[in-house]
Amino acid sequence: MEQNVLLQLSHISKRYKTELALKDINMELHPGEILGFLGPSGAGKTTTIKIITGQLRQTSGEAKILGTDSANIDASIYERIGVVSDNSGIYEKMTVWQNLNMFAKIWRVPRTRVEEVLRQVDLSEHSKKQAGKLSKGQKQRLVLARAVLHKPRILFLDEPTSGLDPTTAVEIHKMLLDLKEEGMAIFLTTHNMEEATKLCDNVALLYQGEIVEFGSPQELCLKYNQDKRYQILLDDRKEIILEQTPENIRKIAEWMEKDQVQCIHSCEPTLESVFLQVTGKTLNAW
Amino acid sequence: MGNMNKLAAVAQIKWLCMSQNTAVVIGPFMVIGMVWGFKILYSSFGPDGKLLPVMMAMLLNLGVTMNICTNGFLMVGTAIAEEKEKHTLRVLMTSSITGMQYFIGSILYPFVFTVVINFAILWVSGIDMSQVSVPVFFLVSVIASLISCVIGMIVGICASTQMNANLIGYPLMIVFMMVPILGNMSEGLRRISGFLFTGVVTQMTDCFANGMEYKIEALDIAVLFGELIISMLVFLVMYRKNGYEKD
Ligand SMILES: Nc1ncnc2c1ncn2[C@@H]1O[C@H](COP(=O)(O)OP(=O)(O)OP(=O)(O)O)[C@@H](O)[C@H]1O
Ligand SMILES: [Mg+2]
Repeated sequence: MEQNVLLQLSHISKRYKTELALKDINMELHPGEILGFLGPSGAGKTTTIKIITGQLRQTSGEAKILGTDSANIDASIYERIGVVSDNSGIYEKMTVWQNLNMFAKIWRVPRTRVEEVLRQVDLSEHSKKQAGKLSKGQKQRLVLARAVLHKPRILFLDEPTSGLDPTTAVEIHKMLLDLKEEGMAIFLTTHNMEEATKLCDNVALLYQGEIVEFGSPQELCLKYNQDKRYQILLDDRKEIILEQTPENIRKIAEWMEKDQVQCIHSCEPTLESVFLQVTGKTLNAW
Repeated sequence: MGNMNKLAAVAQIKWLCMSQNTAVVIGPFMVIGMVWGFKILYSSFGPDGKLLPVMMAMLLNLGVTMNICTNGFLMVGTAIAEEKEKHTLRVLMTSSITGMQYFIGSILYPFVFTVVINFAILWVSGIDMSQVSVPVFFLVSVIASLISCVIGMIVGICASTQMNANLIGYPLMIVFMMVPILGNMSEGLRRISGFLFTGVVTQMTDCFANGMEYKIEALDIAVLFGELIISMLVFLVMYRKNGYEKD
C-alpha cells in the first residue's frame, strides 16, 4: 500500500439479512483530504462508516485502515482515529471539562491539549458547565472536540451538522477546514449538498448502496454541465432562463447594451442536480 | 500493565455517573438505616435491650442480601443501560477501551462498596463480634458481591434502557433475595435456597446470629464458585454474540 493512503476500501459490500445495503464500494483517503459520502437517507452512509471503523463487519471485500486490514484491527486503532457517529452522546451529568478530561486520561493527552481543544471549539468559558445544559450546537462542538483530542490521523464524521442551525454548521465547517490544514484526513457523510460542495475535496455520490459518481465537486458539476444556461433577471422583474445558443447570446447582448439586465447567473449544475441527473431522484426525497 | 490508565478512566467515569445518581447513592444508606432502625425497634423485645438471635438473623439476612442484590443487579445493570440510553457506551468502545477494561471498570466500585457496606451492616446491627468469623464473612461477601456484579453486567447487556434494566433486575432480585428469606417458612424453598449464592450468605449470617460456629461446606463452596463461573460464562457468551450493544 502506498505510504500516503490512509484508508482503502476495495469491493466492500454489506448485506443485512435480505437487504443489500452496500454494493462494491471502492475508495481511498489521503492525508489532508476531506472526502464526503453524499447520499439520501438509507443510501448506506452510516453502514459505510460503521464498517470502516470496525463497528460492523462487511459481508465481503477488504478495508485497510492505517495499513491494517479491518479484520485484524483491535481497540488500539481508536488511538489513531477519531469517530463521531450519528448519535454520539456526552456524559450529561459531568461538566464540559470532565467530559474531555476522561478521554484525555484514556489517550494520555496532556492537560494543555484539553485547554487547547476547548479554545478551538470556543467552549473555554463553559468548561465548568454541566454538559447536559449546553445548547445543541455546543454539544456537537464538544463531541467534535472529544473526537480530535488525541490528534487522530483520520476523523470520521457521520452527518456532523445535521439538525444544527446554519450559523453553527458554518462554525463546524470552519473547524473541519482548520483540522484539514493540520493534515488530518476527514471522512464525512452528509445529505446536504451545499456542505459537500463547500467542504469536500472529493465526493462520492451514494445511491442505494452504490457509488454512482465520484470526483471533486467542481469536476462533477462541470461534467454534468453540458448545456450551458443563463438565468437573467430583467428590469421589468421578468426572470428567464436561456440556453447557450447564438440567438440567445445576441438577445442577452442586446439587453445588456440597453442596460436592462438586473442580474445574470450562469447555471452550473449543483451537486443536487448532478445527483438528479445520475439517479433520477432528488437528494432530499425521503 | 500499560493500560491501567484506561481502566482507571472507565472506573472514574462510572464513579462520576453513579455518584450523581441520587437513587444509587441513597440505596446503601437506606439499607444501613433500615438495619439500624430495626435494631432500635426490636431491641426492646430482647433481654437487656439486646436483639433476640432470631431477630438478629433476620436483620442481617435482609440487610446483607439486599445490599448485595441491589448494588450488583441494579446499580451495575442500570449504569450500563444508562450509557446505552445516552449513547456514550459506543463512544467509549470507539475510544480504544476494550471489553475487558469496560467490564472491570464497571464493576470495580460497586463491588468494593458492596463488600464495605456488608461490614458496615454487621457493625450497625450490633452483633457480638466474637460470634462472627471475619475471614469467612469477608470471603463469602467478596464472592457473593462478585456474582451479583457479574449478573448486573448481564442485565446491562440485555437491557437497552434504564427502565428495561429495572424490569429485568427486579425479578432477579426478588428471587435471589426472597427465596432465602422465605426459606425459613417452607422446606421446598429452603432446599432451593441452598443452591443460590444468596442462600449461602443467609446460612452464614444465621449461624453468626445464633452464636453457632459456621463451617462452610463443600456444597456451599461449590454453589458460590459454580455460580460465579456460570454467570461469567453467560456473560461471555452474550458478549461474544453481540458485544455490549446490539447493532
Ligand atoms: N442493523 C440493520 N439491520 C437491517 N437493516 C439495516 C440495519 N442498519 C441499516 N440497515 C439498512 O441499510 C440501509 C442503509 O442504512 P444506513 O443507516 O447506512 O443509511 P444512511 O445513508 O446512513 O441513512 P441516513 O441518512 O438516514 O442516516 C437502509 O436501508 C437501512 O434500513
Ligand atoms: Mg446515517
